[in-house]
Amino acid sequence: MGQEFVLLVSASVFCIGACGFVIRKNPLIMFMSVELMLNSVNFLLITYSSFLNSLDGQIFALFIMTVAAAEVVVGLAIILTIFRTRHEMDVDHIDALKG
Amino acid sequence: MFDLATVFEFTRDTVILTVGITAVLASLGVILCSSPIYCALYLISHMICLALLFLLYNAEFLAVVQIIVYAGAVMILFLFIIALLGGRKEVQENSLERSIAFGLIFTLLGELYLSATVGPTKQIEGTINSEMFGTAKAIGLELFSKHIVAFELASAVLLVAAVGVICLAKFSFTPLKRR
Repeated sequence: MGQEFVLLVSASVFCIGACGFVIRKNPLIMFMSVELMLNSVNFLLITYSSFLNSLDGQIFALFIMTVAAAEVVVGLAIILTIFRTRHEMDVDHIDALKG
Repeated sequence: MFDLATVFEFTRDTVILTVGITAVLASLGVILCSSPIYCALYLISHMICLALLFLLYNAEFLAVVQIIVYAGAVMILFLFIIALLGGRKEVQENSLERSIAFGLIFTLLGELYLSATVGPTKQIEGTINSEMFGTAKAIGLELFSKHIVAFELASAVLLVAAVGVICLAKFSFTPLKRR
């Protein structure tokens, strides 16, 4: 399968993730949308590392996975802390920057 | 008559097409479902589809890592948090802002695709020369020789994340008073 299909799938998944990040109000689902975007970039890096016959893309994807795991852990801890103090899960209502 | 290579190529293309379309549909399910638990399940299926695609594009090690790290660890973490917070459904209303967001995103999609296809990157002709392209051995050799600094920095990132989570979990915060 040529690179046009790969580009189309990757761009679609990235845009769906960006869309989900904008339209959803549950912070958990916003995090899942960020994961979608990171995954689409991973997919593109890996397919192009296969197309260009170089391993660098796969190494990049590995580091993106590391950073994504760290980001998810910290983000979920922050969501839990917000939930402990506020007892609601709507990002539109979290508007006071003092705790 | 068909020779074996043509049949193999055709089957591979069909599988890639099917799995790619399934991945896009699953990602649509992530952002369109109201209940967080269904979103998480759609995201798991999306990641398994991506792992299959990684396998088809000569990245065996990363396919396994994708299954273990993403579909295993990260999604289980998400499911634990959903179980802890209660998977309440979210009311989705159609507003003007939402339509504007959809329009912007589809413009972004078109621009991304156009700018990616007119670029100078061309696929290298011929097959992958090395037998162990994408295996754990090749990734390890590359990682510990050429990218050793980035590897050490990644370990520092993980350590800082772990310390940060411990700090967030340890110190309790007083409930916020509404003004």
